[in-house]
Amino acid sequence: MPSKLRTLLYFFLAVLLASVMGTVLQTQFNLANLQALGAPMPLGVRVQTTCLDLLGFSPTFAILVILGFIFALPAASLLARLWPMGRWLLFTLAGALAVLAAMALANALLPMPTLIGANRTLAGTVGLMACGSLGALLFAGLMRRSSPAQS
Amino acid sequence: MLNTSRALLLFGLLGSSLAHAMDYRIETVTEGLEHPWSLAFLPDGRMLVTERVGRLRIIEQDGSLNPQPVGGVPEGFVAAQAGLMEVLLDPAFASNQQLYLSYAYGTTQANNTRLSKARLVDGQLQDVQVLFTAQPAKSGAAHYGGRMAWLPDNTLVLTLGDGFDWREQAQNTSNHLGKIVRLNRDGSAPKDNPLVGQSGAAAEIYSLGHRNVQGIVYDNQLQRLYSHEHGPRGGDELNLIEPGNNYGWPLITYGIDYTGAQISPYTELPGLQQPLLHWTPSVAPSSLTIYRGALFPEWQGDLFASTLAERSVRRIRLQDGKLAGEDVLFEELEERIRDVRVGPDGALYLLTDSADGRLLRVVPSQ
Repeated sequence: MPSKLRTLLYFFLAVLLASVMGTVLQTQFNLANLQALGAPMPLGVRVQTTCLDLLGFSPTFAILVILGFIFALPAASLLARLWPMGRWLLFTLAGALAVLAAMALANALLPMPTLIGANRTLAGTVGLMACGSLGALLFAGLMRRSSPAQS
Repeated sequence: MLNTSRALLLFGLLGSSLAHAMDYRIETVTEGLEHPWSLAFLPDGRMLVTERVGRLRIIEQDGSLNPQPVGGVPEGFVAAQAGLMEVLLDPAFASNQQLYLSYAYGTTQANNTRLSKARLVDGQLQDVQVLFTAQPAKSGAAHYGGRMAWLPDNTLVLTLGDGFDWREQAQNTSNHLGKIVRLNRDGSAPKDNPLVGQSGAAAEIYSLGHRNVQGIVYDNQLQRLYSHEHGPRGGDELNLIEPGNNYGWPLITYGIDYTGAQISPYTELPGLQQPLLHWTPSVAPSSLTIYRGALFPEWQGDLFASTLAERSVRRIRLQDGKLAGEDVLFEELEERIRDVRVGPDGALYLLTDSADGRLLRVVPSQ
């Protein structure tokens, strides 16, 4: 497979992982808030709501992840060449900061104070950033497998 | 085929226009209002209009806008949805010149809705007094509610919002986010408010579980209090408000979040009130009135809700207090409508929401 196409595929997989994980996390934070207010939350309702969010919310989150990753992953790749020992740390930070920056940008540009529900709390924000890190780490891992000499 | 379709479309449009033309005529009364929000009719035939940017304006009997804004308006917080909102005359305004203003106060980091009263004397507000400040102060500039109505016992209901980021607080009875509050004319909480005596509850609360309530009207004839509120994406609601009732936000809703995320898996839960109707997709209802006037006999007792997103006024037909259908009016204006009122002359008055907003008067075409 040509290297550019392969990079694009890995980028897509990284976005997919971060978006799916972020969506599942967002749903669980939201349902926990409702549960705290006394709403019943049987497993079936939880699964159904998560599935609806995967259909309805994940495309929105994916756009933010793409916006962040477009800058963060090339930057992390470049820095990793300069500091090979710090490769995993760099990608972990890049993924997290990419999601944080994209959400901050959306909140600044859009009329509502906070676009994504889970982004309203520190725990939710850190969780979504961790999903960004997972996506970025997947990208780093796949790139390393295909170009082991670089590590 | 294309020509036939065009002809049918033209015929349909003409038919629709003719039907409208036969029913009513829309006149421009006043132009040059900056995001007008609320209209009140003074006993002498003049009108008061709030502009969200913080000005209170007088419209003279001939419709001309007094170039000098009313002085002494309390300074508010103006940003995004925040600013000066409703002006409401005291039931005894003719003798005491008192009026009530709702507005956002504070800063971007700490703000909420506030209610003040003042006397209007010679184009100036005097004796301005803060009556109520919604708690807690929160950040952001969204969801303030801000509409008011008098109940028959001369207590006042004031609608509030959840501040957008604090939707779960609409279920918390210890604060004012996402509530409708009922106040005495001096700002105190009436002793017969539904949560008075309940440990930790805010005594001003009249109903809870609201998102952003921007329409409220009391029907004196049927003794009913109606309100509507903005849903998120879908789920705008018309509610029949009764003291102490919980209207469910965010535990139940017919809307979803702007991101496409589910707000709640539920549209119904025990103990939570169902709306009389919900608008999905959203129309963004911005004010509510009930028609009791002489000019449009067929509109008697119907509710009228102005809308921002749909750029219309919804006529909600009621028969014996029950919903009997809806009509979408004034779409031909293609303008966001911020306020709808019934004037003392029986005409319907509209405020269009823009930087160059207008006051419009709807009268029968013949």
